[in-house]
Amino acid sequence: MDFDDTPDESAWRERVRAYVTDHREDLGSYGNRTRRNGDLSSARAAQARLYDGGLVGVTWPKEAGGQGGTSMQQAIVDQELSRAGIPMLLGIIGIGMCGPTIIAHGSQDQQDRYLTRLLRGDELWCQLFSEPASGSDLAGLRTRAVRNDDGSWRLSGQKVWTTLAHVSDFGIVLTRTDPELAKHRGLTMFVIDMSAPGITVRPLRQMSGGAEFNEVFFDDVVVADSERLGDVNDGWRVALTTLMSERMSLGGGGTEIGIGVGAVLDHVARRLSDLPEDRQALVRQDFGRAYVASLGIRYTGYRQLSAVSKGQLPGPEASAGKLAGTKTARAAADLAVRLLGDEAVYARGADGTSTWQDDQASLPGMAIAGGTDEILRNILGERVLGLAPEPRADKGITFTQSLASSSGAS
Amino acid sequence: MDFDLSDEQRALSRAARDYFTGAASPADSRRALDEGTPVAPGRRSLAETGFAAITVPEQSGGGGGSLLDLAVVAEQAGRVLAGPSMVTSARAAVLLAGDDARLASLADGSVGYAVLDGTAPVLDAATADRFLALRGDAVVCGAGTVTVGAPIDPTRGLGNVVLGELEQVACDARLRWERAERVGQVVLAAEGLGAAERAVEMGVAYAKQRQAFGRAIGSYQAVKHALVDAYVGVEQLRSLVWWAAWAADEAPDELPLAAAATKALSAQVLEQATETLIQVHGGIGFTWEHDAHLYWRRAKVDRLLLGDDIAAFDTVARLALALPQAVGSPEAVR
Repeated sequence: MDFDDTPDESAWRERVRAYVTDHREDLGSYGNRTRRNGDLSSARAAQARLYDGGLVGVTWPKEAGGQGGTSMQQAIVDQELSRAGIPMLLGIIGIGMCGPTIIAHGSQDQQDRYLTRLLRGDELWCQLFSEPASGSDLAGLRTRAVRNDDGSWRLSGQKVWTTLAHVSDFGIVLTRTDPELAKHRGLTMFVIDMSAPGITVRPLRQMSGGAEFNEVFFDDVVVADSERLGDVNDGWRVALTTLMSERMSLGGGGTEIGIGVGAVLDHVARRLSDLPEDRQALVRQDFGRAYVASLGIRYTGYRQLSAVSKGQLPGPEASAGKLAGTKTARAAADLAVRLLGDEAVYARGADGTSTWQDDQASLPGMAIAGGTDEILRNILGERVLGLAPEPRADKGITFTQSLASSSGAS
Repeated sequence: MDFDLSDEQRALSRAARDYFTGAASPADSRRALDEGTPVAPGRRSLAETGFAAITVPEQSGGGGGSLLDLAVVAEQAGRVLAGPSMVTSARAAVLLAGDDARLASLADGSVGYAVLDGTAPVLDAATADRFLALRGDAVVCGAGTVTVGAPIDPTRGLGNVVLGELEQVACDARLRWERAERVGQVVLAAEGLGAAERAVEMGVAYAKQRQAFGRAIGSYQAVKHALVDAYVGVEQLRSLVWWAAWAADEAPDELPLAAAATKALSAQVLEQATETLIQVHGGIGFTWEHDAHLYWRRAKVDRLLLGDDIAAFDTVARLALALPQAVGSPEAVR
């Protein structure tokens, strides 16, 4: 057992740190609300800058535009970016979810056309999965893809909660191609050009005030068959690739959710001595609990990384990282806001900053996005602990039949 | 980075599992409550295996192993609520460093040691013949008179001790004392890890088997999610136990934070796991015959040993924030 970098890891860390230091001004910082909503050019430039330094898509194969590196090298990049206070990459959805799906299931032509530009942030991607009637029960989705005589496909339906759809160039979309099969069986995935005729994107305002996610309408949108990912009606298997990658990119390997405990520590350290002594004791309790939880998450992530670096595939255990990370981030953000004193009731302080208020208002979304806390607990309970699933009313029947029985019941 | 046990440590863990599974069980804990029988496996049996003396140097009859080796074994001891605690022997091994004669008596089990923290009830006092304490900056050792209290968890052998005549073991030994206390916290957490993981296993097994409303209760999310939360806690505790035990030997600068964090998390996780265990079992989990309460008893007592969880969280916060330590904490002058 050891926590030291190997000579290779150490050399990599030095290289990463030097690059980040040299280009620090171009890489953005927290507390900058406009990052995703308004001016995207600086965030795009930050991602391109990191890509040009070989720090984006580290684990991706070289032929996919990546570095052909290890999970440990990617973890070192994440650690160094977090250490320098650099926010999440603008193109994280493409990098974390769409890209790995294309690598696993896309044609050579798709890989050549899309992957490098995705990594560099030249083109942004979104993931069109959830629908108004199917969130956690993703396989119940209704967006239809019907085959045209010329072999192309015609999409109609609606997606929702689609992060960055309003600025995305492309997306991966999961559709129903055969409703006469069981709900998991009749799905197919496509790459879609977000500027295609028939696509309407409407931003949705979030409780945090931002408008990063959207509803997306498809009205007879034509997609070439060459943009299909995986086989017809095999979309569920393709989607599992996406969801597994998502799980690893959110809280897997001990990456922090929210602003991170280091920043909370600095904040507490600055504010604590202003408080009366009895208050200080309570704040130390709260902070101690959040800090211990963050250590548990960090070191559990190190165990996962060690396992992955020995060739094990990331398993369903990775869901525990997001579950625990979200809970801890919420507790830490609540403490951080409370420490603002009289300003804690305002959305922005007198100095114009809103770092902690924004963190507090964004974190409820983390308990929902990328697998709700409840779905993650089901995954852990069923796939790790081996407990039986809840009975499903739509088991053993076709999607069409399940629609009929659910509308009959209501 | 390689944050995993070695093959040797995995083999040690299996050997310890075999031994403890045969040598102690929750039934011994219940019998101790009912009849006042001694804890199992007991000091002499533990000494024969060499497990309790893993961290005693080889020239004093010990195993010359690392604290991580000991933690791996202590986890297995925790699974069956074994006693006396490996906390006591691990702590005594640190306090008696350089005293080959006493270390040899610790290693061969001929003398039972216990360690005093101020005036607090003493772990394993019930079976001890010699007591270690801090006087000024010196570690002292001597006989004592033990008054055993009514036990919540009989496997902990807690009692109040009035010391008799004392001999000095080491002078100028405050740092040694603090290290011993932190080592004790780590081993306590390792035993807590074993008890908590066993509690989750028992809860999961019952949730798979017990039927209600026509299906296994583990299929209900209310039951499933409670078990998952306990499981997630156990895995995080495992990570901190490994880190803290490793730090004791390999990164002593990290030990104060690691020991306090691990002690605190252990208190939290073991309570959560054992309360979940009882709840999942329903009525049977609330009976004297069931093992659930014996694990719960361990949780309710261990959280208060070697400083309580509140003190440990406070220590973590103070260390992280670089604040002075509280009076009465392991880090403060006693």
